[in-house]
Amino acid sequence: MNNIVIKTNNLSKIYHQGEIEVNALNNVSCEFQKGEFTAIVGPSGSGKTTFLNIIGGLDSPTSGYVQIADVNISKLKSSKLIDFRLHNIGFIFQAYNLIPVLTAKENVEFIMLLQGTDKEYRNKRTHDLLEEVGLGELVNRRPTQLSGGQQQRVAVARALASKPRFILADEPTANLDSKSTTQLLDIMAKLNEEEGTTFIFSTHDQRVIDRAKRIIVLEDGKIVEDKK
Amino acid sequence: MNLTFKLAWRNIWRNKKRSLITIASVFIAVFLAIFMRSMQLGMYGNMINNVVKTYSGFIQIHKKGYWDEQTLNNAFKYRKGLVDSLKQIEGVVDVIPRLQTFSLMSSGHLTKGVMIQGIDIDKEKGLVSWEDRLISGNLFSNNDNSIIVTKDLAQYFNKKVGDTLVFIGQGYHGMSASGKFSIGGIIDMKNPKLNKLLVFVPLKLAQDYNSAENMVTHLIINKDDNAENDLIFDQINDKLDQDHYEVMTWEKMIPELKETIQVDNLGGILMIGILYMIISFGILGTVLMMTEERIYELGVMLAVGTKKIKLNLMLVFESIVLSLLGVLLGILLVSPIIYYYHINPLVIPGPKGQALKDFGFEPLIPFSTDWKIIFTHAMIIFTIAIIASIYPILKVSFLKPVEAMRAK
Ligand SMILES: Nc1ncnc2c1ncn2[C@@H]1O[C@H](COP(=O)(O)OP(=O)(O)OP(=O)(O)O)[C@@H](O)[C@H]1O
Ligand SMILES: [Mg+2]
Repeated sequence: MNNIVIKTNNLSKIYHQGEIEVNALNNVSCEFQKGEFTAIVGPSGSGKTTFLNIIGGLDSPTSGYVQIADVNISKLKSSKLIDFRLHNIGFIFQAYNLIPVLTAKENVEFIMLLQGTDKEYRNKRTHDLLEEVGLGELVNRRPTQLSGGQQQRVAVARALASKPRFILADEPTANLDSKSTTQLLDIMAKLNEEEGTTFIFSTHDQRVIDRAKRIIVLEDGKIVEDKK
Repeated sequence: MNLTFKLAWRNIWRNKKRSLITIASVFIAVFLAIFMRSMQLGMYGNMINNVVKTYSGFIQIHKKGYWDEQTLNNAFKYRKGLVDSLKQIEGVVDVIPRLQTFSLMSSGHLTKGVMIQGIDIDKEKGLVSWEDRLISGNLFSNNDNSIIVTKDLAQYFNKKVGDTLVFIGQGYHGMSASGKFSIGGIIDMKNPKLNKLLVFVPLKLAQDYNSAENMVTHLIINKDDNAENDLIFDQINDKLDQDHYEVMTWEKMIPELKETIQVDNLGGILMIGILYMIISFGILGTVLMMTEERIYELGVMLAVGTKKIKLNLMLVFESIVLSLLGVLLGILLVSPIIYYYHINPLVIPGPKGQALKDFGFEPLIPFSTDWKIIFTHAMIIFTIAIIASIYPILKVSFLKPVEAMRAK
């Protein structure tokens, strides 16, 4: 059975910093299976963010391509790509994920409103997801009224709302204290275990690395280690 | 509520201070622009009315050639059919006949050249407020044998109401003209030149005196205050035989007034232009800040799958609501003030007011309540505000989520 959700082929990304060329990614080819719980690690500047951004269709590679469910997203036009992201990929960023003027509930709903799902389904799923991340009591709070950890949990709920093929998270715990980090990881691991949600996240944090099922190590834009 | 509008609405109230600044700058622009223009155009309107309503009327019809050679021999027959057809034109309130001629007026050893205006008093009342100008005596009625003299003339001849004056001149086609009339009233034309010159006589009496039965030198068009002068002018021209008549607007008859107004108006427009420029930069500044501040947030929205058109709609809606609030507030607050000064005109004080008086103008500024002023400036400022929102639209159009989110 073909369980591959993401396939990258000779991905390279070259940035120009003035005169200097930076090879942020250097011929990266790899595959991700459905249900993975994978950490991308490596020193600062090794290309983790660049890699996640290109996989997520937020940035385009200089050469090579990314294939998600038979679609070569590196060839999609900008407007098509936006739509593709909406329906296929969940995002959790390091911080300030949420739309400030919307409540926790509305932030989660937001994605489904964009997708045009019907109201009853939307309400139920929003409710369920916020329960699942342990925020059933705080649904009507705005982001500024939530702690960093709570905000990240809303972000997880939002990322899940669209039923994406996978969720990308660039250092989701970087701004969190250890208790919130553990809470967030517990939720992610549970979703992965119980519902088979695919998570790919970058991190510097050893505690996060310890929880991963697969670890990809990047150095100077190259995969130097890939252990399951 | 639609998601996009909900977001826009909440964004407006999210930074209340900034929103209030935007609303306030739009408000100030609308308020000042409308205030200034209503004052200016009201002043011009009053100047025109002063001259036009005491003297020339908005449009005059003469026999062709009369304007260059203003003699009784260029008078023409008053035809009721023609007058009736002119009255049919929309905006024309009345067509007023006058017979104007020069004559000598004397009493004892004093003699002076005066201008005799033969008028139909009932019709003239629609154009000029005679009662306000009357200093003593009464207005004659059309069948009377009495006359009205201007105050400086009365003073020169040292005459009161009830006294008589003798007139000698030349009537129509060289007939001699003479008569002795008693003064029924003394009038102040509020214009120093006219006050030394004019004698009003019932039209019929003037025609008899001049042996010019049923003849007139002028047909004066009185129009609705709001009717377009040029439009009426064109229609009159269409109805008249160009070989026999000449039609003139006040602009052509009193070009000095028109030029004075044009020069002054240019200054006003320049001021408004500067005001608009300041306001444009103000609005653009807030829009710029508003957008830059929110680049990261817009980047996140784009990343998670919000279409650019939705982001743009949201931003435009924010601009529209803010500027609309400012515009409406401006109109709401400026309207009663304009109306107040329309009813109770500003008085121009000091030497400037006196100078105006000497030229025959009331030193008053009744503000114009023409809705077109309000509409024009409200629209201009609203448009500026909307144009300013092109910046965020462009910004969003070129926005890449990765770059936007590196901003923080
Ligand atoms: N927009 C850009 N312009 C120029 N160079 C860039 C740009 N983005 C990233 N780089 C460079 O590409 C390399 C990889 O950067 P990237 O952000 O992917 O690293 P990272 O592994 O995520 O690092 P960190 O752990 O600090 O987040 C770095 O050398 C970085 O300086
Ligand atoms: Mg990074």
